[in-house]
Amino acid sequence: MIFTLNGKEVDYKGSLNARLLDVLRDEYRLTGVKCGCKEGECGSCSVIMDGLLINSCMVALGRAEGSTIVTIEGYSGMKRFAVLEKAYASVSAVQCGFCIPGMILASECILAKNPHPTEDEIRLGISGNLCRCTGYNSIVNAIRIAAEEGDGLW
Amino acid sequence: MDTISKSVIKIDHTPKVSGTAMYVADYSTEGVLFGKLLYSTKARARLVDVKVPVLPDGYLVVDKNDVPGENQVHIVLDDTPVFACETVEYIGEPILMVVGPDEKQVLAITNSIEVIYEDLPAVLNMRDSDVVFFNYEYGKGDIEKAFADSDNIYEEEFRTGRQEQVYLETQGMIAEPHDGRMTVHGSMQCPYYIHRAVAKALGYEPGRVQIIQDVTGGAFGGKEAFPSILAAQTAVAAHKAGKPVRVVFDRQEDMEFTSKRHPSLCHYKVAVKDGKVTAMDIDVIYDAGAYTTLSAVVLQRGIICSSGVYNIENLKVHGRAVKTNTVPSGAFRGFGGPQTFFAVEMMMEHVAGRLGIDSLTFKEKHIAREGDSTSTSGMYHFPVPLPDMINEVDKTCDFRRKYKEYSKPQTGRYRRGIGISLYFHGAGFTGSGERDYIKAVAKIHKTSDGIVHVLTANTDMGQGLLTTFTKIVAKELDLPFDRIIIENPDTDLVPDSGPTVASRSLMIVGELLRRASAELRAIWKDGEDQIIEEHFQEPDFLIPFTIENFHGDAYPTYAWAVAAVELEIDTLTGLANVLGTYGSFDVGTPIDMNIVVGQMEGGLMQGVGYASMEQIAADSKGRIRNNNLSDYIIPTSMDVTNLVALIHVEKYPQGPYGAKGAGELSVVGVPAAYIEAMEMAIGTRINHIPFSAEDTMKVLQEVQRK
Amino acid sequence: MVNSYIAESLEEALRIRTEKTVVPYGGGTDLMIEAPDDVSYLFLGKIPEMKNITQDAKYIRIGAGCTFTEIIESSLVPDILKDAAAGVGGPAIRNLGTVGGNVGNGSPKADCALIFFATDSKLRLMSAGHERILPIKDFYLGRKQIDLRSDELIVEILMPRSGYENYYYKKIGARNAQAISRVSFAAIMSVSDGRINNCATAFGSVSDVIIRRNDIDAMMTGKTIAEASSVRDAYLAAFDEAIVPISGRISAEYRKAVCMNLLRDFLDKNGI
Repeated sequence: MIFTLNGKEVDYKGSLNARLLDVLRDEYRLTGVKCGCKEGECGSCSVIMDGLLINSCMVALGRAEGSTIVTIEGYSGMKRFAVLEKAYASVSAVQCGFCIPGMILASECILAKNPHPTEDEIRLGISGNLCRCTGYNSIVNAIRIAAEEGDGLW
Repeated sequence: MDTISKSVIKIDHTPKVSGTAMYVADYSTEGVLFGKLLYSTKARARLVDVKVPVLPDGYLVVDKNDVPGENQVHIVLDDTPVFACETVEYIGEPILMVVGPDEKQVLAITNSIEVIYEDLPAVLNMRDSDVVFFNYEYGKGDIEKAFADSDNIYEEEFRTGRQEQVYLETQGMIAEPHDGRMTVHGSMQCPYYIHRAVAKALGYEPGRVQIIQDVTGGAFGGKEAFPSILAAQTAVAAHKAGKPVRVVFDRQEDMEFTSKRHPSLCHYKVAVKDGKVTAMDIDVIYDAGAYTTLSAVVLQRGIICSSGVYNIENLKVHGRAVKTNTVPSGAFRGFGGPQTFFAVEMMMEHVAGRLGIDSLTFKEKHIAREGDSTSTSGMYHFPVPLPDMINEVDKTCDFRRKYKEYSKPQTGRYRRGIGISLYFHGAGFTGSGERDYIKAVAKIHKTSDGIVHVLTANTDMGQGLLTTFTKIVAKELDLPFDRIIIENPDTDLVPDSGPTVASRSLMIVGELLRRASAELRAIWKDGEDQIIEEHFQEPDFLIPFTIENFHGDAYPTYAWAVAAVELEIDTLTGLANVLGTYGSFDVGTPIDMNIVVGQMEGGLMQGVGYASMEQIAADSKGRIRNNNLSDYIIPTSMDVTNLVALIHVEKYPQGPYGAKGAGELSVVGVPAAYIEAMEMAIGTRINHIPFSAEDTMKVLQEVQRK
Repeated sequence: MVNSYIAESLEEALRIRTEKTVVPYGGGTDLMIEAPDDVSYLFLGKIPEMKNITQDAKYIRIGAGCTFTEIIESSLVPDILKDAAAGVGGPAIRNLGTVGGNVGNGSPKADCALIFFATDSKLRLMSAGHERILPIKDFYLGRKQIDLRSDELIVEILMPRSGYENYYYKKIGARNAQAISRVSFAAIMSVSDGRINNCATAFGSVSDVIIRRNDIDAMMTGKTIAEASSVRDAYLAAFDEAIVPISGRISAEYRKAVCMNLLRDFLDKNGI
């Protein structure tokens, strides 16, 4: 079946039952999509599907037919990523890094919907992404800074 | 603020944020065999038979018979087997590994293996155990006289539960045999621990083993010792297969079968005279699980901390680590300290309550000062800044006023409480461990092109060590970062600077790097290849300490903390809403402010979880029931939205630029602050963590009935 | 290797449902937790007839393929359902999970199903040749057992157009986000001309099936607030007897205490 992956159309020939997470990592070698739990609880596997944040471990390929999927690898070439990663860097929000690709994509989805979110809205937007290192403050700050600095991008 | 504290962009920021950082599971699996462990389903049994089906070509089973060296994993002692022998001692003990080219097929084979057990009686509760792995006693003063002379004696028992580290990246190792050597890389804290374990299991000379740390997605102590077991198993499998073998845990097996924080039972008997605590008689039991692993050292730290930040002149401390047929307990941030700090802080608070004094005022009467004797008759050689830190926290969260207000009887639907906790973390390895056991060596190697290579065995697991080590070397040599190279350690390339544990890396190894850099600066010759090696030297001021007599300076210095938690409960549901979590932390000079604050905030959050929502429940057979992230609950971004970490600086002259151990401190004392707040809100004394909404509701209903 | 199917229309989906043994796959957020290998899925995500949210004279009609996010963002969906949808999982789960899946899981913990119980909503079930409208209460036969025939799909949920503006909803989880429900309670009090014309309560996560006792709630029907206050004790006693929570990792005592507390609060808030 056909879907669009990081801007390119791909013709997937495997099982429709395969987990999107596994296919992205193993077949397309997009290892920036992390596996933390395989039960939709941690958000490490987050990707953007048709403009929405989803857990790729919760998606069988059949569900993704015709969809547009963006992983951290595809997103990291964008201007918005540059603003976000600079913001994350400025507050050292990246500790072990495992939650971060998911957090970055969650950040994008927050700002895409709401370019000037309140702190509560930011916290709600990342509430499905677990982090064990930071206590979340630095990540929330990073998103707030990106919103301030990303003038017009979102 | 010291110039070194000024935050920089972390040197591993870019690969991690862009998703290009390679964690062990990210490496290509081409030509690599998958390994899956088969675990015991019994808490204790004799292994009668293991029925392996006929295996397809390319698939093999690896067990105790395939261990070329010794079937022992060296972790302090050697009782942990690589693969189970005659008996299994806990649910989750690895019996064998199935290895093969297709992951699904490997899993199917593993599930089809039938194990015949002969049940043996199992001990699941530490109260029922009569196997004492470790037993320590120490004391000072005249405890009998103090109790005889006392006005009042108070006794109470405190319990703490298991806590799972929940590093976001699960355990994983890849072992690759090549050219008569074995290279193992993976997620780890201590490459040289693994090096020793793998060499022992394979029966190899040390030079034939190479251990490389991959980018590690969190550890918190959970990857201090456990990886040695997994690495030994994976290496043995790769040795037998003659091909690379990869084992990456799924979340369920990681949660069920890897090491967790020791559950504890702490019994305190306290003598009070003239409104002050004059003596403490403390009995501590830690649940070591089925094998000894790190329990000796965890227990040591726990009992050293057991009289808290207080100057208690008459002390008797007895500690035991006992065996139960459960997953062996291991290291978790705080390493035995959180358990006894919970107990001592709650004890002090309860005694204060019985004496009719507010807990903070009572505690303040006993705080140790510079020059006072420590619990083990060492000395606090440096200032104890707790009084100032208490004031900082008070100012930040209006503690004293709220304490008074919330102490009044509350009858509404929503009830509030606020609690405070005073604690320390002894920085560095306990006692003479650094000098006698670790003997750290750090190296810097300037190549002729003027690039400085930083060579230590210490690992960055998120706490920013690659960056802070770089900053130290850069500052001392006055070089820009792009002239300094530091990589995740490879035992072929780095000396053994000791494990990344005990909050020692910055304080001990960072200082070695600083000295090495200072030396290099003095003798720098352009165009020349120069290597400086620096060996650990025990500070002069230390009063010698050994485990045999438990007397002297257990730690060279202490990192100090004050934590406060304010919460509000809903009496209709028992749910607690944490209104604020605050901490003031003295870890000496922060080598990077954002990094240190980030560590403090993370630890505060883990402490709230430990006190409340993080519960491990086992069934009557000992099987852990909540083995996934929907059932083992850690805080999300919406759970503690008001989290404040303050930094207080008391420089430690022997640490680099005045830095002290920082990694563990923040989590250690948070639960007592949470529980004190909860007690105030629901109007009862509490003596255990975790304390859940259910526990709250039970208390409220009992109070209602009265 | 089994075949799975992606249906492009309702008609195609129902035909496959008749001809093959398939597991209907909406958002996948429940199914993908176990994800056995040898199952044949029928992917419903592309079926337009299941994605509509409309209203007619009697009902708000919610397509079973609507995600929790779509529910929250729709101007036609009443607040009571939005509240429940907003509490499901986290943002990523809400973007994928469907209201049909929430009902079709047969779980007493299902957040939206609780609201459908409290509002006495109906399900529109279709097979290739047949359609039936079933009150949601009749759809649940026991724990994880639903009255869905092997050739049927849940196509729409029919909520009454109005009458639940005055509602009470509380979900008790273990934390503030991504929390599986431990106790949940939804209640509606509709008063006109000084008399209660509908008192509806539903308790989730405490028993094998969501507890909906229209007969007990009927004690309130037709009464003024003052009259209702006089039967308050009898009403509470009836529910005290009716709610027998099962014990799991969360104790029955806790669940019972919370249910009764919330029920009392609901009455208090309505002056009863």
